[in-house]
Parts: sequence; structure tokens; C-alpha cells
Amino acid sequence: MKIRTIATAAALGLTLWSGLFAFQRGLRSFLEEEDNPAPFPSDGHEKAEFYFSRLRYPAMRNGYFGRAGGSWATDYPKADRQFLQGVRRLTRVHVRSVEQVVDLESDEIFNYPWIYVTEVGRWGLNDSQVKRLREYILRGGFMMTDDFHGTFEWDVFMASMSRVFPDRPVVDMDTRDEVYHVLYSLDERLQVPGIQYLFTGNVDERDTTGGRWRGIYDDKGRLMVAITHNQDLGDAWEWADHPQYPEKWASMAYRMGINYIVYSMTH
Amino acid sequence: MFELLFRYPASSFAKGQFVLLSGWPVWLLFLAMAVAAGALGWFWWKRQADTLESIRGWRSAVLWGLQAATVAVLLLLLWQPALTLSTLKPQQNIVAVVVDDSKSMAAVEDGKPRIEVAKKALDSGALAALKAKFQTRVYRMSETLERVPDLTGFHAAGKVTRLGDSLQQLARENTGLPLGAVILVTDGADNSGGLDADTLKDLRSRRVPIHTVGVGRERPEKDIELIDVVTPARALADTRVAAQVSLSSHGYAGTKAKLTVREGGKVLASKDVTLAEDGKVATESLLFNAGTAGARSFSVSVDPVAGETNSLNNGVLRLINISAEKPRVLYIEGEPRWEFKFIRRALEEDRTIQLVTMLRTTQNKIYRQGIAGPKELEQGFPASVDELFGYQAIMIGSVEFNYFTTAQHELLKQFVDRRGGGLVLLAGRSALSDGGWARSSLAELLPVNLPDRKDTFRRDMVGVDLTPAGRESLIARLEEDPEKNAARWKKLPALAAYQEIGTPKPGATVLADLTGGRKTPFLVTQNYGRGRVMIVAGDTWRWQMQQPLEDSTHETFWRQVFRYAVSDTPGRVLATTPRQVLADENKLKLSVDVRDRTYLPAADAKVEVRVLGPGASGGMVELQPDPVTPGQYTGEWNVDQPGQFVAEALAKRGEEEVGRDVFTFQRQDGVAENFHTQQNRELLEKLASQTGGRYWKPEDVSKLPEEVSLSEAGITVRETRDLWNLPAVFLLLMLLKGTEWLLRRKWGVV
Repeated sequence: MKIRTIATAAALGLTLWSGLFAFQRGLRSFLEEEDNPAPFPSDGHEKAEFYFSRLRYPAMRNGYFGRAGGSWATDYPKADRQFLQGVRRLTRVHVRSVEQVVDLESDEIFNYPWIYVTEVGRWGLNDSQVKRLREYILRGGFMMTDDFHGTFEWDVFMASMSRVFPDRPVVDMDTRDEVYHVLYSLDERLQVPGIQYLFTGNVDERDTTGGRWRGIYDDKGRLMVAITHNQDLGDAWEWADHPQYPEKWASMAYRMGINYIVYSMTH
Repeated sequence: MFELLFRYPASSFAKGQFVLLSGWPVWLLFLAMAVAAGALGWFWWKRQADTLESIRGWRSAVLWGLQAATVAVLLLLLWQPALTLSTLKPQQNIVAVVVDDSKSMAAVEDGKPRIEVAKKALDSGALAALKAKFQTRVYRMSETLERVPDLTGFHAAGKVTRLGDSLQQLARENTGLPLGAVILVTDGADNSGGLDADTLKDLRSRRVPIHTVGVGRERPEKDIELIDVVTPARALADTRVAAQVSLSSHGYAGTKAKLTVREGGKVLASKDVTLAEDGKVATESLLFNAGTAGARSFSVSVDPVAGETNSLNNGVLRLINISAEKPRVLYIEGEPRWEFKFIRRALEEDRTIQLVTMLRTTQNKIYRQGIAGPKELEQGFPASVDELFGYQAIMIGSVEFNYFTTAQHELLKQFVDRRGGGLVLLAGRSALSDGGWARSSLAELLPVNLPDRKDTFRRDMVGVDLTPAGRESLIARLEEDPEKNAARWKKLPALAAYQEIGTPKPGATVLADLTGGRKTPFLVTQNYGRGRVMIVAGDTWRWQMQQPLEDSTHETFWRQVFRYAVSDTPGRVLATTPRQVLADENKLKLSVDVRDRTYLPAADAKVEVRVLGPGASGGMVELQPDPVTPGQYTGEWNVDQPGQFVAEALAKRGEEEVGRDVFTFQRQDGVAENFHTQQNRELLEKLASQTGGRYWKPEDVSKLPEEVSLSEAGITVRETRDLWNLPAVFLLLMLLKGTEWLLRRKWGVV
């Protein structure tokens, strides 16, 4: 009798304890989602000014979170952490060496004014998520999209994005735009392919040729959403240490990512 | 009654001297009294045994006392007591009767205007009695003093009352003449600021007593009066300013009234106030948005409440010069951070303040925004006076103290002290204590004593609390209404990070604290030299990201912080005047402060003020350097007609123009007399007592002539009045003897 009570209490306690962890603010681990594991740095728990915030979203196909259905976790966490090392070395931004996963389910996202969304060619946002994303961006948040290719994936992306900003056009960005000059001068932008280039020899993955740099601006002419279509910066960050991955693309990816970050912190 | 017993008025006894006329020595009198008392006493003592039982002991002593007193009085009378005093020689002296003829005397109280009350008091015999004894001159007092033949022709229409000036003029006119006394019939409602010490001293030295006759009610029955309104002389466009209003009321304790600020009829702000008890001066502050550039006049008034006797004193006009200038603020940040982004965003909509920023993006790169041209800040943070003093305020983020050179440290100090600029410091990884500012040469500028340790910057969420000073302050006013404002602050999202900044210095003002455990300041300011310094000890960007898009807390807060930083930063030429709205006055005092290029006082400038008035009237006046304060130039302008005026002060050194400053002023006529209309009894009593006169009520004026003759001024004569034949003396003797007889009867000895 006594043992049963203790056991029940212990079980309950453990459940509560882990529940507590799950709802804790701060670092969230999605070990089962890891696409490409990376070592956890010793200072990974420190508090910092900037957190590389990766947006977790439901997949278009079946609405489930998780790798089987969705691909928010593509390149996670190696791309994130390797990129952050570059940010740390090359700028004075105080970054945490470990990424932060955020989602549109709660107002927690408003604590992270810069987000990275990858494989948006497979995302599907519901109405409340659309509403929150719109509010988030208009209040001052910055969104960067990556790793989607071809016209089909573009349409999927726009199916959700056009609901976020039905009143704002998506425009092509000129190299004279301030975002390409905040830190690095990117007068010449390179289309950055993913690691698949090493196997296929093609820079393009789908039917579109050439890189697209597009954006959505606010009423004051400030860039709010930076869209890199037909490119894969995430892979470049992830495979920057691969001996065969061309350095020029890795560098371009770092520079562009850093420019986006510095732009979002100055405009 | 007094006169019946004592024959002469009480004032004679007060003023006169007691003497004994018989010429016999006083000691003889006392000796005689003593001898008589002694003899009587011996008599009584001797006959103690013979006296009746009933009057033995203390009763004998009482009877003895009464008898001794009677003898003493009789002896005193033998010595001929008298009173000597100096009185004005009749017909040899001038007495001036000055009657106030200003508009306040037209106030109707109890069915009669004050001027009628005054005239009646004089006509009912007092004036005639005076005329019988003295040469009487009647004067009318309003803006000027004028001699008139009689009491006709008083219309109570004068625009101002200037007591001091009029009395001095009177004294001057009668210098050399035997002026025995002045009788001033007025309500004392002076509009030129009352009597100053110099005027009083002058009048006292002439030894002319001024008898004041106060007319008018001392307390208005039901009235609300706006005593004064203080507003800043200048403001930036689109800034909230505060008007400090002092008001008093009678007969309305506890009722509610509405205080409003209007511009051209349009209500800008209003506030419900509860009126205090009678006569108490209450201060309220009213915040309103000053609007766009230009010379604006605002009318601050209390809406008339039912039953008010005088509603003309409920409002005043104030001028504020809203400058069209766009002050520039330089913000240097040591690393990219969210606070930087959101501060820039908060100022985006602001058309007045120009924010210039420089950000250290990498170890060696600086990203500049808001610059006027590619050359601005090309060499980094300004290192020369010209460059740095071109800004009106400096904001320093997470920048360690040693990032700046020693010369730049000194420049920063002079920027605040000499130039009068504003300095705002933010929290950060390398800011304040964590950046080595604690024991630095600039620590004296800071409004706090920074803790001398590292690790004061924490990335923990914490809330803020307004202090009482913060509740009153303009900087922390997110909502017009103070109650709503305090509630709004309570609901603000937590700060993203904060910094411990130690304890505030004695002269500093803490507007908000961080909540939780130890009370450490969040928002603190202090003045330093001609400038001001503020610390914002936390990251506020969550006020933007965690509140709905429509919410403008973050923008409002930062706009007000910047306005505080730049608002009183002067240019090189600063013109001031103590009062911008003149009520029925014609003198404007001007003062101009001139500084050279490095903001040191320029003592060798030539300063001219050009005035443009209504109907293209105007002129020019050159100001003189103040001998005491170098760099200050003062002068006066005669404002000869009512209306709005614009003035421009131009300062030149040789051929080079130092700078200009524009200000406006206004003269309003017909308003001064509406204020302070109740009888100023205090002033009148003071005036009378200081000069040897007395304060009178209109109904007692008939006794005035007698008293007037007791002056020591003019041509006087020493009069002796006998005291032996006073009815009082007779009564006293009767009383003594009568008491003795009654007691004897009572005790059965008669």
C-alpha cells in the first residue's frame, strides 16, 4: 500500500517536472527533430542579445509538426550553430551560440524580433498563425525565408504569405537596397545552391533558373521580409566546413545572413 | 465712551507724553504720598485697641488702603498732571486726500459701488472737518496721480492701480511744503506688484503718516481667481508642455471646477479640479500639446461657476514661442542591439527631432544613419568643439568609457556644462559600471553614484514603478490623465534587460524604479551646469514588441526622453524677458545671453533688439552689457500700446554675426483691474503702521480729522492738555470714598 502511494506520487512528480521543463522559456530542445546534429557549446545556455530564432511551422500536407510532415527543421541545428559562430566572429552582435526554436502558437515569439524560416515551399499556416505572424512583423519583427525552389514551391509559399500581407506586394530587391550595404557591400549577389550541387552539378533544383531576391517592405520603405528563392543559404552554413562545398557560396551565405541580421537591428 | 471719561481720544494718550506741570520735584510727590500713608497707618495702628471688633485686622488694613489711595490721588492732582503732544498747527499744514479712481473701485458691493462708499465717507463731514483745520488737497489716483478741486469727477475708470508710484509722486510734488498727513482712500488692489521696500523706506523717512481708509470687501463672497500661470517661454514643435496654475477661491470649498487650456477658442486640454478652502492657494498642473511652430497664445482659464461675482479674473493669456528648429541628437551605440533599432523606429515619425546614429557593427566598422551628408562623423565620434556642439543632445549606449579619448571626455563634459546640451546614457554590456564609467572623470556628470563593480548589466526581465516625481513629470506621461498614466505604467511589459546603477545623488530626480527586491532607479535625471543628464537603465523594446501595434507607449516615451534632452539646450544667443504678457503695463525688461563659438560668454558683443508691433509700429533698442555677468546684455522697451509684438535680438562681434533669437510678447489692456479686486487690508494696514498712520474703516472716518492733527510731520505745535479735570479722576475719587463708606456701613462703623 505504501509503496503504491510512493510510486504514484513519484510518477506524478516526474510528469509535472517534465511538464515544467516543456513549458519553460528559453532553450527548447527538439532532439527528435535534429536533421544534422551538432555539438552543444559550453556557453549554450547563456543569455544574449540576439538569438537565431528558427520558426517551427506545420506542414502544408498534413498539418502535423515534425519532420515526416514538415521541414522547418531542415539543417537544424548544425546550420544554425555554424552560422552563429560566423556572426560571433565577424560582428559585435552578442549572439547566443545555440539557436532558439520559436513558433506561432503563443506570444513567446514576440521576444525574438528576428526569425529564420526554411523550406517555406512546404509550409501551411492556419488563420491564427497568419494573424500572429502579421502582427509580429508589423510591430518590428524581421523574417528571413530560405530553401524553396521552383514555381510550385513559390505558389505554396505565397498561399500563406499572401494571407499575412494581402495589402503588400512582394517585390524584387535591387542591389542598391540598403540591406545589401549595411555591413558587407553585396553589389554582386550569388545564387547559393544547396549541398545537392555536389551530386547534380546544378545550381537550380527545380524549374526556375537563377536566384531570386525578393522582399516585402513597410510604409516607411523598411524591409520586413527577406525572401531568397531558388537558393539554400541554410545548406551553405551547414556545409561551410565541407571540403568540397565552394567557399564563394559559403561566404556569400554568411555575408547575406549577417547583413540581414544587422539590417534588422538597425532599421 | 473713552472720550467721555478721559476727554481726549485714546490716540492722544498713545502719542502724548505724560508730564507734571507744577514744577515741584517728583520725589517730593512720592515722599508726600509716603508720609500721608504712613501717618494714616500710624493713626489706625494707634487706635487698634479702640476700634470695634468688626473692623479689626485685615478690614482695618483695607480701609487704611482706601484712605491712603484717596490722599495719593489728591496729592497727584496737586502736582498738575498733564499730557503734552505735538499737533499740527491748523491752517498751516497741508493734508492730502488721495482717492483711488481705478476700475476696481467700480465694483458693486451691497448695492453700492466702492467709489460711492468712499465719497460718502468723506462727504459726511470728515472732509469738511479737515478743510476747517488744514489746507486740504484732493488727488485722484489711477495710472497717474492728479490733483482735483473736489470729489466730483471720479468715475472709477482707471486702468491700473499703482500705489507705490503714486505715493512717491505725491511726496515728490510736496517736497518743501508742510505736508502733515496723507489720507489714502482705496481698496489697496494694487496691480504693479505692491509696495516695495524702497518706496516704504522713502515714505517713512519723510515722516508723513499715511492714514489708509480701506473700502471694499476684504473677502469676495463667491469668486474663483486665477492667480498665476507659469508656462515655458519656448518649446519645440509637437511637444507636450506643462502649465503650472495657481488659483484661489472663496465660497466654493469642495466644489468641482474645470480648468481648460484653449488656443483660439479650441480646447486643447482640460482638467477637473476640486476647489480648496477659502483663500487657500492651490496649484495644479495642466499638460497640453503646444502644436506646430509659431508664436502661439494660449488662454488658461477656469470655467465660471454659478454665482461667481467676478468672472473676469478666471483666465489669463500666456505666450509660448514654438520654435521651428529641428534639434539634432547624436546617438552612439557600441554594438548592434534591439534597443537601438526600436529607438530609431520610435523617432521615425517625429518631424522635429533629427536623430543621427553611429553604430559599431564590427570591431572596426561604424555604420552611420541619419547623417546630413557623407562627411558627417566621417572621423568617428566628434573630437572638436564645433562638431560636437553642433548637436543639441548626445545619447551614449553600450560604449565603454575608454572608447573615447581624454579630449573627448572633456568635450562631453563641456557639452553639458557650457553648451547646455543634454546627455542620455543607456544600459548595456559595456555601459555605465560595466564600461568603466564608475570612477571616471565623467562620473560627476551622472545623476547617480555608480556601483564600483562589474556584472551590473543583467538580461533578466523586470518591471518598472513610477515614483511620485515620475507621476508629475512630463517625461513619463504616457497618458494625459495622471491616474490613467500611473495605471498604464503598472501594466507595461517587463524590460528585456536592466542595469544596476547605484544610488541617486542628492540633486537628482528619480522618475521610475525597477520593481522587485532592491529598489534601484530606472529613470533618473539631474541638471548639470547649463545642461542636463539622464540615465535610462533598462531595455524598453519589449514595450513595442509585446504590445499591440496601435499602442504608442514606446514611441511616446522615447519622444519625450529626447525632448527632455534637447528642450532647454540654448543657442548661442538667448533672449529672455520676465513676463511675456503685460497686463496694462508699459515696460518690458529684456535680457540677452550671448556666447561665442565655443559657448563661452561673449562680453564684447553688440546686441540690438528689433521690435515689430501692431500697425507696423516698432523700433530698435540697443542693450547694454551687464557689469556683473559677462555675456549678459540688458535693456528696457517701452510698450506704448496694446497688441502682439515680435522681437528679434541680434548679436554681433565686430562684423561677424553671432546669432539671432526671436521671441514674442503681448500687452493686454483692461485686464489688470479684474484681478486681486478684494480689499488688500494687509497692505493698507502695513502701509499705515509703517508710516505712523492708522488703518480706518469707512464708517470710522469721522474721527479721522482729530487723529490727523496728531502728526509729527509738517508744522506742529506742542500742546499741553490738563489731566486733573478729567471726569475719570472725579469718578475715581468718588469710587474710593464711596467704597470706604459702603464698607464702613457694612461693617457697622459709620
